[in-house]
Parts: sequence; C-alpha cells; structure tokens
Amino acid sequence: MPASERCSKSSDATKKGAIEMETLNDNGLTMVENYYRDYGYRARALKQAGKRIMGYISAAAPVEIINAAGFTPVRIKGDPKEAVTKAYGSMETLVCPFLLNAFDLALKGKYDYLDGIVIPHTCDSVSRTYEVWKRNFPLPYYHFLNVPHLDGAPSLEFFTQILKTFIRSLEQFTGKEISKKNLDHAVLAYNELRQAMRDLYDLRKPDQPLISGIEMMKLLVAVKALPVDESTALIRQVSKEVKERKTSSSQKPLRVMIAGDQIDDTALVEIIEKTGAQVVMDDISVGSKLYYADIEVTHDPVDGIAEYYLEKVSLPTFYRDKGGSYDENLELRFGHLKRFISEFDVDAVILLVYKNCDPYGFEVPATTSYIESLGKPVFYVEDEYSSSSSSRLKTRIEAFIEMLTQERR
Amino acid sequence: MAEERKQRMTATAAAAKVPKMVRANFTANLKAKEEGRPVAFSFIVNCYDEILRAMDIVPAWAESYSGICAAKHDAGRFLEKAESQNFSRSLCTYATCGLGFEYWRNELGGEMPPNAPWGGIARPDFILGTGQMLCDPRYKWPQAVQHYMRDVPAYIGGFYWPPYDENMDQREVENYYLKYAVEELKGVIAFIEKQTQRKMDWDKLEEVTDLVDRTWDMFIDAYELRKVRPTPMDTGDAMNTMVPLAFMLGTQEAYDFYKDLYDELKDKIERKEGVAEDERYRLLWGAGLPPWFALGDFQYFNSKGAVFPVERTYREAERIDRLHLPKLSDPLERIALRWMRYWTHWYDAARKRKGSIPEVERLIEYIEDYQIDGVVFHKAFSCRTWHSGIVLQAQILKEVYREIPINHNYYKRCGNRYKYQ
Ligand code: SF4
Ligand code: SF4
Repeated sequence: MPASERCSKSSDATKKGAIEMETLNDNGLTMVENYYRDYGYRARALKQAGKRIMGYISAAAPVEIINAAGFTPVRIKGDPKEAVTKAYGSMETLVCPFLLNAFDLALKGKYDYLDGIVIPHTCDSVSRTYEVWKRNFPLPYYHFLNVPHLDGAPSLEFFTQILKTFIRSLEQFTGKEISKKNLDHAVLAYNELRQAMRDLYDLRKPDQPLISGIEMMKLLVAVKALPVDESTALIRQVSKEVKERKTSSSQKPLRVMIAGDQIDDTALVEIIEKTGAQVVMDDISVGSKLYYADIEVTHDPVDGIAEYYLEKVSLPTFYRDKGGSYDENLELRFGHLKRFISEFDVDAVILLVYKNCDPYGFEVPATTSYIESLGKPVFYVEDEYSSSSSSRLKTRIEAFIEMLTQERR
Repeated sequence: MAEERKQRMTATAAAAKVPKMVRANFTANLKAKEEGRPVAFSFIVNCYDEILRAMDIVPAWAESYSGICAAKHDAGRFLEKAESQNFSRSLCTYATCGLGFEYWRNELGGEMPPNAPWGGIARPDFILGTGQMLCDPRYKWPQAVQHYMRDVPAYIGGFYWPPYDENMDQREVENYYLKYAVEELKGVIAFIEKQTQRKMDWDKLEEVTDLVDRTWDMFIDAYELRKVRPTPMDTGDAMNTMVPLAFMLGTQEAYDFYKDLYDELKDKIERKEGVAEDERYRLLWGAGLPPWFALGDFQYFNSKGAVFPVERTYREAERIDRLHLPKLSDPLERIALRWMRYWTHWYDAARKRKGSIPEVERLIEYIEDYQIDGVVFHKAFSCRTWHSGIVLQAQILKEVYREIPINHNYYKRCGNRYKYQ
C-alpha cells in the first residue's frame, strides 16, 4: 500500500481504530519496511487520533521522560535522498549536514504532526541551532536540555536536577503531573525494548546471520517513531520471523561493523551488502549505542535515567576520563568496540563521519588506531548526509571490501 | 609606506603594545618549561584563569598559537599534518593546526617542529579544557591531542549556564548550576594540586578574584568610551586589545592595560581624535571571528568614513554592578556566578521584547548605546560555536527592532590559505 494511501486511510480511521496497535500477524518484516519507507506515518495516525507526539534530536534525549509525560517520542531523522532546498535561508551550512537535512524536512512539512521538540545539548551543531528550529519551525513546545559532557558525581547530580526541570516543564505544558509510577513504568518499558533489541542483535552472531544488515537498519529506524510497546512487539515479532529462517549458504560472509552517529538510512549498508559482505553489528546512535545497557531501577527513577545517559550511552559527546592512563581512557571510550568485534566476530569496521561533526571528527585517529590495535582493518570515510555522494562512497567501500576479500582467499 | 603610516596613526598605542604582550606570553611558556615550572595547555575564556594565576601555572594558549601560525602564513604545513591523520578539514582549524603541530612534534620524538613560528609552544605538563564553555573543541581537542602526548593528563571542568527560556526565569535554576560549577572548579584545583604537588593559596585566589572584578569593570569603562563621536577606537584595534582580557585575565598587567587604554581614549576624546578622519557611518561588528590575515581591512572601512565603535566578538565581560551579584565570600562561587550572570545577562531584556532572544538584545543594546547605523556579521567556516545562528540573529533583529542595514560576509579556507568571499 503506498504511503499516501496509508496516511489517508489512517485519517479516515475511527479514533479508536487508529490508536490500536497495528496487528503484527507474522508480518513484522513487512511492517518494518512500511514504517521505514514512510517514517512517522504511525505517529501521524496516532496524532490524528488525538495522541501527543514529541520530536527529539539525538541519542541523548531521555525518551523515558517524554513517554512518562504521555507522549510518543519520535526521533527526528533526515532523508539523504532528499536534497536540501529550504533550510539554507535560515540555517548555516557550517553545521552538521544531517541536522541541516532534518531541519529541511521539517520545513517541508515532514514533521507537521509534532506537538513539540526536545533538543539536548549534544554538540555545537545541535545546541547552536536550537533557536533556529524554534523560530522557523514553530511548535507549541520546545525544550533545550543541557546534557553535560562529563560524567562523575557532580555531573550526575547536576543532570538529575536538569532532568527534574525538564519534567516540570513537561508537566506545565501538559497540565498533568508526571508521577514516579509513570517514570518507573517508562523505564521498565524501555528496558524491555532494549532487551528485545539485544536478543535480536544476538541473531546476527551466527556465521550466517539470521537478519541482514539492511533489514536491521530498517528496524532500527522504524522503532524510532513508534510507541515503545509497539516497538518491543515489533522487534519480538521480527526475531520470531527470522528465527524461522533456514540458512542456505555454507560460506561465511565478510562480517562488517559500521560506526558513526546519525546513520539512519540503508544507503551505506546497501553498498556494503551488495558486495556480498554482511553488516553484523553497528556502533551508531540509532543502534547499539542505545541498546547495550539498561537503566538501573532506582528509588528515584530520575537517578537511573541520569546515570544511563551520562555513563552508559557511548557517544563521543561524553568525555570519559576517570583519571587513569591514556590507554585506560581508551578502554572507557572504545572498550565496547572490542566486545562487539569479538562477540559478533567482526572482520572489518567502516567508520562514517559527517563533515562538520566535531565530536566524531576529533576522535577519528583514536578510534581507527584503537580498532587497528585489535588487529581489525578499519575504513574511515567522511561524507555529507546525502545520497548524491554515494557513488563516490560506493567505489571506495567496494575497493576496501574487495581488498579484504582477496586477503581472505 | 603611506598606508603603514596611516595604520600607525589610527591605531591606539595600547593596541600597538599587544603583539609584544602576546610574544611575551609565548616566551613565558617556553621559559617556564625550561625552568621546570608547570605549563598547562588551556583555552582562552576558560572561566578559571584566576585559579591558574593563583597557583602559578603558566598557561600555553593552544588556540592562540594556531592564530600565530596563521598570521605568519605558516599554518598550512601543520594543517596538512593533521589531515594526514584524518582530521577533517571541516573541524575547527585552530584545533587542527595545533593537532598537526603536536602530531609532528611526536613524530620528532618531542622535538619542536622545524622553524616553528616564535620558537613554538611548550609541551605542556597537563591540559585543561572545559565542557560547554564555549565549544566542542574545548573538550574534544584535549582528548585528541593526548593521542600525540599520551603521558600528559587532561582535565575537563564542566561549566554550564541556564539556557534561555522565555517561560522561565533563569534564577529559578541558577542555584544548581552554580553548585555544579563550583564543584567543577574544585575539581580543577584538585587536579592541579595533584599534578603539581602545590596547594591552592586561597588568599591569593581571593585577591585575583577581586582583581578580575576590577579588570572587567575597567575593560567595560574603557570600551564604553568608544560611544563618543568620533569614536576613538574601533574593532580593528579591539581585535588586539581583547588579548589581556582573553589571555591574561587574572593578571595585574591586564588591569593596567585597560587602565592605560582608558586614559588614552580619554585623551583622544579630548582632542576629538577619531579613528576615521571623517566619521560618517557607525557599524556594529555583530558576530564572528575576525579575518586575522586581513585586519587591515578595517582601515579600508575607516577610509570610507565607516567605523566600528563596538563589536560582539571577544567582549567577554560586563560591568560587575550590572550583573547584580549577591555578596559571596567563597571565591569559587564568585567566579562561577560572575560568569553565569554574564552569560544570562541579556535574558531579562529578551523576555520583555516579544519575539526577541538574548543575543539580539545584546546587539540592540549596542546599537542604541553606540548610535549604530548598520551591522556587519562575519562568518568564518569551521567554528560552529560563533557562526551558527547568525542568520537567525539578523532576521530577529529586523523583526523585533527595526530595518537596520545588515551585511553578511565570510571567509573560507582555501587550500592552505583563507579567502574572503
Ligand atoms: S553527526 Fe556529529 S555534528 Fe551531527 S548531530 Fe551527531 S554529533 Fe552532532
Ligand atoms: S570552535 Fe571556535 S571557539 Fe572553539 S576553539 Fe575553534 S575557533 Fe575557538
């Protein structure tokens, strides 16, 4: 069913019908495809049925709090296939190309169903464009969340206070208290989602992964615009479907891990998988960065949420240094890569960093040399957030994979 | 020659002293290193200069050194070294120039790269950065540079101020921001104490904090003399006279510099000596880092009767009485609150004018106080922190204030050089 049809169907639906969870009936992967192709259509339907939808930018936004306030959180994403046309007049081109693209989509009406946007202080590109979003894409609610770059006790206490201010601001906006029960429930729901996602990631571990990198990428994106329970159900359904797959080939593909920030499109994975290699793991901010740790259930749920985002989400916008040696700090920053490479039997890593991205850009030599120290080849590429550059990317990645494949022979 | 004479005539004597001061700053870090005194890589406008001075730490301003390399047209080879390490050309070039330098020094086993401008910059004993104040490179650069000096420890102190929200008075949350900032400043002290085995001299810190309060006042008092017509000093000079404020805040020398500048400007005003022979247009340098390689362009403006009596860039201070600070005895609280109130100073005004934002209020204040006819916004690529949101500021300024003429220009890195566009 084309996207437009689905949307009009949703708008015709009775309120009750639209807010019911879409039935999965063994078609999880098909639904993933639909949700991926028409990102946000479910959220739009929910909005039409009277539900509240909150957009947010980056992996550092505490979706648990947004959920506890009664919103469906929707991660703002871009579309590399869409040329930026409207944003240039209001956002400087020296910012992150992903952000420019996402903002452009917003100006073109892609996010017209949002009640508000939460923008955490992740990087200069994001924080310095907060007012640009607010002025040019006006919505009833905007909130800038000052996420510290540091961890450690003072930062944790500080972030807890910031989250409490955020909670108060949401309460003021909705006119409804966010209770401890709401927060506890949200924490558990997202932990459940994380567990379901980790279980699915496990199915990539066998020599013949049960789910392709492209399918996984679509799922990672799809769940970013769904209510949490629907996401969890969808992930479980997909796990169930792919577990039933029979592996046919006995040849083990070249196993690739992709790394970067806002990779929220299949273009890169398609390039890799068309060569016969397979993406078996990721270290990206719509992917594993968010799923490999749970929020601890704490007496005050805000404590657990603060600790999760500051200490357990491995974004380069968090500065990790516990006072040890440089090598010890490297382990704090990149130790998870070592685990992933070993557990997912990764043969090579492709690191994609967007132009104008300071947090990732400054890490490139440290990241690549860390991976190389594990005996794994790494291919670093800087790119725009645009499919128009993908032919150049394609040639380079194909050459890299070809070289590795030759070496294996 | 004629041009040079003209330059000398229009520049303040104070501005002319600055290159020597900058040079002395660099000699100081190299000398301190030779003598075995602790040297720290740090960033200007770091919010803890008082601590460095009270503990006798010699700062080596890493970003300033990149500026020197650029001014000497000798940044290219360091930038190329950084690129060979896969540091993107789109990153802050102050940082990448420094990274290329350190990569090279590391390659040479710790030797200074050949013919380093001004003899180079000392290899630090430790590195001090900040979280938020002001940009991502302030915590990512220390981490990145450690890759080439792995034995050098780094410490990042978090310093945040309440974000602007038209529906919330920032003072409602100021307490926990202040508490955090103070904890982080204590962290900076503890780190330095550990690295140097020196104890903080709290009396000295108090003295330096008093001195900085006075310097902020003196800086503003001197700069506000530029309101007079014809203006006795413009942005061309201010890009030099900012040095003591940004690089030597906690020193007596900085205070004395602004006192001298104050006296000099007073004299010029008495003699009705303006920057331009025939001052016709008064412009505000609304945003952006200056084109260091082309500061002479300000003279071109002057020759057309246009002057810049005020600029937003590097004006990182405000008169203390305007910040309405409560009486505090703890110097760390005083330092933290002074900065916090500075960053949030234009919030109240913004809330009062529908549709405004603090940065625009600040521009409006300058436009009115300095009788400005037009605003120039200048963009330098690769520094997101100062150059994102400029278009918006220009839009809002016109919307909430008046149809004031605005000019946008930018310069761009072009190979190893920069090009005006
Ligand atoms: S890709 Fe980099 S610049 Fe863009 S939002 Fe992420 S961290 Fe910021
Ligand atoms: S990003 Fe801008 S403010 Fe930060 S170090 Fe670079 S030039 Fe300076």
